[in-house]
Amino acid sequence: MERDDVVGRPTGAAKVRVERGPVAKFAAAVHNGSPVYADQAAAAAAGFAAIPVPPTFAFSAIQYWGAFPEEQPADPTGGSNPLAEIMGGLLSKGGMILHGEQEFIYHRPVVVGDVLSCEGKVTDLYSKESSSGKVMTFLVTEDEYRDEQGELVLTSRMNLIHRA
Amino acid sequence: MAEAKLSFDAVSVGDEAPSFTHKLTRTDLVMYAGASGDFNPMHHDEVAAQAAGLPSVFGHGMLSMGILGKAVTDFVGIGNLKSYKVRFTKQTWPDEELTTRVVVADKKEEDGVKLVVLEVSLANQAGEMKVQGEAVAEAA
Repeated sequence: MERDDVVGRPTGAAKVRVERGPVAKFAAAVHNGSPVYADQAAAAAAGFAAIPVPPTFAFSAIQYWGAFPEEQPADPTGGSNPLAEIMGGLLSKGGMILHGEQEFIYHRPVVVGDVLSCEGKVTDLYSKESSSGKVMTFLVTEDEYRDEQGELVLTSRMNLIHRA
Repeated sequence: MAEAKLSFDAVSVGDEAPSFTHKLTRTDLVMYAGASGDFNPMHHDEVAAQAAGLPSVFGHGMLSMGILGKAVTDFVGIGNLKSYKVRFTKQTWPDEELTTRVVVADKKEEDGVKLVVLEVSLANQAGEMKVQGEAVAEAA
C-alpha cells in the first residue's frame, strides 16, 4: 500500500468515560502510588476538580475500561481498518510487530468524570532497511480526544513497526 | 488543576530528578495486562512465549513507559506535563532491575509559558536502555 493511499484514513472512533476504579488500578499497575490517583481528598488538595489519570492511561486502558457498546459512534473505517489491513497483511507473510514509539500531547489534564470522543487516523507510512538487511515498515497513527465541548484534551501518537 | 509546578528559576540544565529502581516480576505483567486490557499472550503466558522461541514472557512497552512516567510526574507535579514521548529500544524481562533517569535538558519560554524539557530513560542493571525519550512540563 502506498503512503498517499493511506495517510488520513480513519483507524476508528470511540466515546469513552473515565471512571475512578480503572484509574486507581491502572496507577497501581504502573507502580504509581501517588494518593492523587486513588483518593478524592488528595486530588482536591493537589488542585484537581476530580481524580486525574496517569500520563499513559490513554493508551488502551481508556478504551478498554471506558467504551460502552451502546454509546459508540458509527465505525468511520467502513469496515476496512488500515491498521489491520497493512499490519495484518505484512504479518501474514511472517515477521513480527513491535510498538516502536509512543507520544502523548496533553492539552489539559484528563480527570475522572470526563466523557471524551476519540478519533484516530493514519499520519505516516514508510519503510527502512534494518542493519541486518531486513525490511522494516513503520505505520504512524494519531488519536485525538475531545471533551463534550469539542475542546482538544489529548493527542496520542503511536508508531508501529513490522519487522520482516 | 495541577500539583505544585517546578520552579523555573530553581532548576538548571543537568539537574537530575530523584531516581527509583523496580525489579520486574511476572505478577507486574499480569497486573498491567488486566489494568490496560493488553492480553497479548507474550506478556503473560510463559508456555506460549517459550513456544514462540522466547526465553520467557516479556514486559509491555507501555508498562515501562508507565513506570518511567511516575519518575517524571513525581518531579514536575501531576497535571503539569505538556508532552511525553518515548522510543522502545529493548524488551524488558522478569527479574530485571529497571532504573529511571530524568535529567533537565533545556529550559525555555514559549508564548509566555515557562517550560522545562527533560531527557528520560529506563535502563536495566547492566545499563541496557529499554526506553528513551523526552518529556516537557510547565514550570512556574
